[in-house]
Amino acid sequence: MKKQTKDHLVFWLFLAPALISFVVVVIIPFFMGLYYSMTDWTAVADSTPVWVGLENYKSMFSDFAFKYSFIRTFLFSVLSVISINLVALTFAFLVTREIRFKNFYRAGFFIPNLIGGLVLGYIWQFIFKSVVPSIGALLGIDFIENLLLLADPNLTLFGLIFAFTWQYAGYIMMIYVAALLNVPQELLEASEIDGANFWQKLISITIPMIAQAFTITSFLTLVSSFKQYDIIVALTNGGPTDLYQGQVVNSSELLAMHIYNVAFKYNNMAEGQARAIIFFLVLSVVSIAQVYYNKKKEVEM
Amino acid sequence: MKKSLALLLVLMLVGAMFAGCAGKTEEAKEVVIYQNKVEIGEQLTAFAAAYTEETGVKVTIKTSGGDSPYAEALKAEFQSDRQPDIFVIEGMGGYNTWADKLGTFEGDEWIDLTALEFVVDGKVIGFPVAVEAWGMAYNVDLLNKAGIDPATLTSQAGYKAAFEKIESMKAELGVDSAVAMAAGPDMRWVTGLHNFNGYLSAGLPYGDTTVIDKLNNGEADMDRLTQYADWVELLFQYADKSVLLTGNYDAQVGQFATGKSVFIHQGNWIDPWLISNGVTFPMAFAPHASVAGEFDSIFIGAPSFYVLNKDSASTQEAKDFLNYMATNEKGHAYMVNEAKMVPAFTNVTLTPDAPLSADVAKWVASGKAYTWLQNDMPDGFGMNTLGPLYESFAKGDIDKQTFIDQVAAKIAENK
Repeated sequence: MKKQTKDHLVFWLFLAPALISFVVVVIIPFFMGLYYSMTDWTAVADSTPVWVGLENYKSMFSDFAFKYSFIRTFLFSVLSVISINLVALTFAFLVTREIRFKNFYRAGFFIPNLIGGLVLGYIWQFIFKSVVPSIGALLGIDFIENLLLLADPNLTLFGLIFAFTWQYAGYIMMIYVAALLNVPQELLEASEIDGANFWQKLISITIPMIAQAFTITSFLTLVSSFKQYDIIVALTNGGPTDLYQGQVVNSSELLAMHIYNVAFKYNNMAEGQARAIIFFLVLSVVSIAQVYYNKKKEVEM
Repeated sequence: MKKSLALLLVLMLVGAMFAGCAGKTEEAKEVVIYQNKVEIGEQLTAFAAAYTEETGVKVTIKTSGGDSPYAEALKAEFQSDRQPDIFVIEGMGGYNTWADKLGTFEGDEWIDLTALEFVVDGKVIGFPVAVEAWGMAYNVDLLNKAGIDPATLTSQAGYKAAFEKIESMKAELGVDSAVAMAAGPDMRWVTGLHNFNGYLSAGLPYGDTTVIDKLNNGEADMDRLTQYADWVELLFQYADKSVLLTGNYDAQVGQFATGKSVFIHQGNWIDPWLISNGVTFPMAFAPHASVAGEFDSIFIGAPSFYVLNKDSASTQEAKDFLNYMATNEKGHAYMVNEAKMVPAFTNVTLTPDAPLSADVAKWVASGKAYTWLQNDMPDGFGMNTLGPLYESFAKGDIDKQTFIDQVAAKIAENK
């Protein structure tokens, strides 16, 4: 055997397990899904799907609930990305300063991330439904006592963002902490000698130096808020209803949940699959654009 | 040389990985039941074990349900290599999904012992798991204290008078509202399915499907719908706002159980909840006054049916097991005393000791029943399409006329 062919063989052999698993669990199902999205498949064993072409895609764009869900998802994602990154960055600044128990705080902020989304959703549901009114009663404020937070569409959206931030900010904070610790101290010291104040240091040195972290954190938060499902199911179950252009809509039924409902509640597997494909395309475009844009902002040392 | 040996080893390992999935052995006859009631899972497993001891046929119970969706899990179960021999469907919706997979019962002893078997085109398809019923359950003590005769609760006018009286005596009775009603996002089965079933069947002879046939053809009965909206409005008006809008199952049943409401819009399935929370006051059912007119019956039906997998290798064993449950005293004891269900079979002499189930047994015996049709609507229609409309109506986002129009519009989409 020639050295080169042998190297090739070893190369492919070591690649094989990962490659095979990837093809079997990602690539093949993806193309099967693409096929099923153009049929009337219902997932019942032994039934043969009938080819319907682009019918499922057409019906999707005339579906009011889908359009509404799309708008709501964008709104939720934008607000969560901002909220999570702001909170995470603030925490990261706090725990990288010279304070006592900083490791304790780091662990504390990170712990909500270890709680599963469903559990967390139920906890916050309890807080919004029972704890908030009790606090209102305790303080003697009728408005808070009688506040049905989860019956108001906008308050519910903020409640969701709050719960999601609470869960995810600690994780993002860890990435910022790592980035902040890598900012060269001599640069900061030099600027201090030149008389820079806190904001000038932050904007001209720290932020550009941690731009790489921004790329990662924006990507992670964007993708996971777009795909958010478990917290919503447990916290609001898609409700409360809202009126939008005269139609009754589920205000917190974001895309992932909407797709699930179409596929399983209405038993329209193929239609749900078609929506999932569009979801995938939109998410890919958005996240690739975001990474491309952020990459341009990074500075090389 | 060494390298090729290593290569060989790696190849063997990979081979072993795949071989692990392939091994299959012939087993003795076994009946696998895939069922959806978490609350009876343990009891059914114990009963199956006793059955195995007596007959030698192995019966395995698999349970999925409660918060994990059964219909979805069942599909996954069918994609696996061991399909269940007996599984559960809920009325026509389930039948339409699974029609190609269902076997039929013929000549089984239990068929003559019930009127609630699931029949399609003259073929017996499903074994009724249990009888369940709902109406307006009331707290007998509180109703007496308010001086209301349950015999007057037969029409919307009767209910209105009763609710008004309770409303005026709120402090005296110690209640938050007359009715414990829920219409929030978690409770759309109460509004979109159970309450809406009043529109479909209240006041009609048992088994009458004229209204739902029209609904499935995209046609709404506007008179009936208008009268029905009055009933919905009445219930919402005399319900506690926080339970109505954001309450979950615990909040709704809890309001009734703690004596904070006189009525609850639920069925006898709340018995286990009441018993495990130590509720002891007497209670009974009154009819729903869903549309105009007088009513004397509650909604009684079998919510789910055991059905046979046509491709099962142990069909006879599966049939024998179900027949044993319906005809043997041990089966009766399991259904009534262990699983706390109301059996659908006339040969059962045991009475349930749970308060609402005992009342249901009385209604069953007197033959006063309206049909369950809520599961015969298109998939997702009741809960996902109609449910949100109730919630908006309850919140006051839409008024009664808009509610009627929107429900009619959604029905028209079924065409």
